[in-house]
Amino acid sequence: MSGAPPSGSGRELANPPTDGISNLRFSNHSDHLLVSSWDKSVRLYDASANVLKGEFMHGGPVLDCCFHDDSSGFSASADFTVRRYVFSSGKEDILGRHVAPVRCVEYSYAAGQVVTGSWDKTLKCWDPGGANGPEHTLVGTYPQPERVYSLSLVGHRLVVATAGRHVNVYDLRNMSQPEQRRESSLKCQTKCVRCYPNGTGFALSSVEGRVAMEFFDLSEASQSKKYGYLLNLFQAVAVLTLYGTFATGGCDGYVNVWDGNHKKRLYQYSKYPSSIAALSFSKDGRLLAVASSYTFEEGDIPHEQDAIYLRNINEVEVRPKPKAIHAAAPL
Amino acid sequence: MGPSPRDQLSKIETTCESLLYELQMIWNEVGESDAERDKMLLELEQECLEVYRRKVDLANRSRAYLRQAIADVEAELAAICSAMGERPVHLKQSNQNATSLKEELMAINPQLEEMRKRKSARLKQFLQIMEQIRKISSEIHPNGQALPRIVVDESDLSTRKIEEFQRQLEALQTEKDDRLKQVLEHLNTLNALCTVLGVDFKRTVIEVHPSLGEAEGSKIVSNDVIERLASIIHKLRDVKVQRMNKLQDIATTLLELWNLMDTPIEEQQLFQNATSNVAASEHEITEPNSLSADFINFMEAEVLRLEKLKGCKMKELVLKKAAQLEVMRQNTHLVTQGNCELEIAIEAIEAGAIDPSLILEQIEAQISGIKEEAFGRKEILERVEKWMAACEEEAWLEEYNRDENRYSAGRGAHLVLKRAEKARATVQRIPGIVEALCCKVIAWEKERGTEFTYDGVRLLSMLEEYAFVRQEKELEKKRQRDQKKLQSQLIVQQEALFGSKPSPSKPQSAKKLPRTSTGGASRRLSLGAAALQPTKPDLLCSTKTTKRANECTSVSPAKKDLDAGIPVKKLSFNSTNANAFQSDHRKPFAPLTPTNNLPLTTQLIHNIVSEEQNKTPKATPIATPKTPGTVSTPMKMANTPAPCSVAYEEEANIVTKAIEEYSFEERRLAFYLRRQQEDLHFT
Repeated sequence: MSGAPPSGSGRELANPPTDGISNLRFSNHSDHLLVSSWDKSVRLYDASANVLKGEFMHGGPVLDCCFHDDSSGFSASADFTVRRYVFSSGKEDILGRHVAPVRCVEYSYAAGQVVTGSWDKTLKCWDPGGANGPEHTLVGTYPQPERVYSLSLVGHRLVVATAGRHVNVYDLRNMSQPEQRRESSLKCQTKCVRCYPNGTGFALSSVEGRVAMEFFDLSEASQSKKYGYLLNLFQAVAVLTLYGTFATGGCDGYVNVWDGNHKKRLYQYSKYPSSIAALSFSKDGRLLAVASSYTFEEGDIPHEQDAIYLRNINEVEVRPKPKAIHAAAPL
Repeated sequence: MGPSPRDQLSKIETTCESLLYELQMIWNEVGESDAERDKMLLELEQECLEVYRRKVDLANRSRAYLRQAIADVEAELAAICSAMGERPVHLKQSNQNATSLKEELMAINPQLEEMRKRKSARLKQFLQIMEQIRKISSEIHPNGQALPRIVVDESDLSTRKIEEFQRQLEALQTEKDDRLKQVLEHLNTLNALCTVLGVDFKRTVIEVHPSLGEAEGSKIVSNDVIERLASIIHKLRDVKVQRMNKLQDIATTLLELWNLMDTPIEEQQLFQNATSNVAASEHEITEPNSLSADFINFMEAEVLRLEKLKGCKMKELVLKKAAQLEVMRQNTHLVTQGNCELEIAIEAIEAGAIDPSLILEQIEAQISGIKEEAFGRKEILERVEKWMAACEEEAWLEEYNRDENRYSAGRGAHLVLKRAEKARATVQRIPGIVEALCCKVIAWEKERGTEFTYDGVRLLSMLEEYAFVRQEKELEKKRQRDQKKLQSQLIVQQEALFGSKPSPSKPQSAKKLPRTSTGGASRRLSLGAAALQPTKPDLLCSTKTTKRANECTSVSPAKKDLDAGIPVKKLSFNSTNANAFQSDHRKPFAPLTPTNNLPLTTQLIHNIVSEEQNKTPKATPIATPKTPGTVSTPMKMANTPAPCSVAYEEEANIVTKAIEEYSFEERRLAFYLRRQQEDLHFT
């Protein structure tokens, strides 16, 4: 049933998780790849060496993971916990808890805090440098209108996307209330949100497969630049590259790279065996990790094996093409 | 006496002699002298001569007289003959016969007599003719030179002359006849005109000339009369034409009015004679009094009456027509906001400001316009009907499917089943119908360059909306299906694990959680506000709250370390699951809390479900997801906790509807747990 993917898909990572992959991330400092999975594990790979370097278990499926620095990371699980890992020593502990599955985890360099979002409709901020024990790490709990589905950080800004298509924008320095309360401009349930590296706005993707580009600046001029596209079938997962273009992957198994400003597709990679569950670019943009893993959009049906592919990226695939007449709009 | 004159003469002679003798005797007696005797005898002789002379004269005279007479007669004869233009043939004849004068005379006299007779006869003739001529002439030229007396030129009594006169007479006669004919013709015409026009013929002709009024009797045929007749005829003919035109106008008006006001046939037939002549030409109208002044007045009166009636009915008519227009608009679904202008118009009519016929015209124009439009819209409207019928069937089918008793065998159940079958087929066809309809509408709009409106709304918008709603419904159905699946999973789980339905405690826990979560949330919020500088006491508080929140969720006192609200079942569940969740790689540092997690998860999901069930009645339904592009303006609120909590609860209520939505991860988790249960069940 699982045929070998075309060689253009990249090389397969050895020892992939045994169940669905919820997320994967490259480290900002190396080619280390952190992968969270429904098999309750959090795995650390050296992507270029294609070696599994460590594995940690949760009490339940792990829904998200992120790096702190190259040597430590965090994970969010359906067992309501947020865990912290020190890879070098193999130590792990629970940073904190929610009262429902924790869906997302991010680390903010600007604030030095871990931010988690949960289906218990709260956002929590944690201080990982604080004293050990979950009793001492919680910085604050911020209620959300609905279950948190995705969050993203850039600079001091935090964007939270919840069920019911709510989008809250926070300034990490003042979490007492959101800087902006917005609604997704897309009709369908929000899948994920990603901030642009330049901090001007964020991309929202919906389960329908559309991506909307939104801006923090609420002035009329900026708002008029918003637009949405139908990109992939269901569950577009957007990742932003160095160049300000973004890649999406969906249930159709394709990964596409888009130039948001010019609304053009720059590249499409060959089809992967299963839905694209997650995408991540390495820090230098040379590698793209693709999680090919059934995402349960059609319920519990037989599906391809979960796998992770690593591709070498050509600049040309991800760099926006300059417009012939007009200057490229700043992204 | 018998003796003839000769005899007498002889006697006389005798006597004379005797007398002479006697005389002689006397003388003798007397002794006269012979001188004396001779004297006496001379005297006697002289006297006798005288007598003789006298007698001769007389005879001469008589003879002359005779001759004269004859001459006279002859002369007269000659005259007569010449006058009469005949030759005096007989004259010389008598002389040659050498008859005595007396004989001559006797011969001539009868001739004369005859001629005289003839002359007088002729004269009479002449007189007659001339009289006739005179008469006719006077008839023809009454004011002309009237011959006071017929003077016959007696010098010319010839036949030629008389023939001349005859001819003249004849000519006059002819002329008279002609004129008479003319007059009669005129009279006939006049009569016809008068009957048609209802004018008194007799009076009219008498005005021309009294004699014309007589049925019998000669009629004057003078030029004057004829001219006058002709002119009267001309005049009357003009009148006739005039009236005819007028009548035809009136008749046309009547026809229009009748048409407008639906006059009954009986009423119309009263004016049959007029309306039947509507298109006649002048000479075709001959019926008596069909153009009389009275009749025309009558007709005019009728028109006036009808017009008044029309005026009264106008409002009704306008309303009727307006209603007609309205119905037509509704039928073609071209309802616009033209109603106000109609009301204004009606008010104006009542106030007399506008002529109703103007409004009527406008409405008529609109009606014909709508008719044209209707024709072009027909096909699309029919399709719309089909679409709507299909939607109705769909609605019926949904209703039917919800009906519990639908499979009960009642009366007509088989019919209902059939209808359901048909309805299902129809529902399948709906997308196709909508698609085709859209294509047609787009083509129609392109062709005409305008929007196709349906009851004031653009049809394409309606269809888009419908398609959108339908899509939403599909998604909705899917969600409900998934939700049902989740629910049934939970029930299965519970049953699998605990063997009985957790009905009593379910509602309890369900009720508890919402309250708690809300309360806990506000606490957390207030803490969060103060958490800008995290301090230990705060953390402690938060932890305590969390713990309390956790504890509150547990109903049964027996389970301290359990957060579930379901008593006994949880325990066993817990213990088995604790193993399931404990991983081999667990580090010693990590506290033992995972045992709580699975039950909580189930509980929470379950609670999410029941939360929705409980909250739904209170829910303020949110509108269907807004169109992309809207951004709710960020509320710039004061940095105080209170508003925040208010906002939060507000939001909690507002987004109630969103609770029904689940992400794929949530569903996957549900599957995952179910699988877990299944695995557990079999271990």
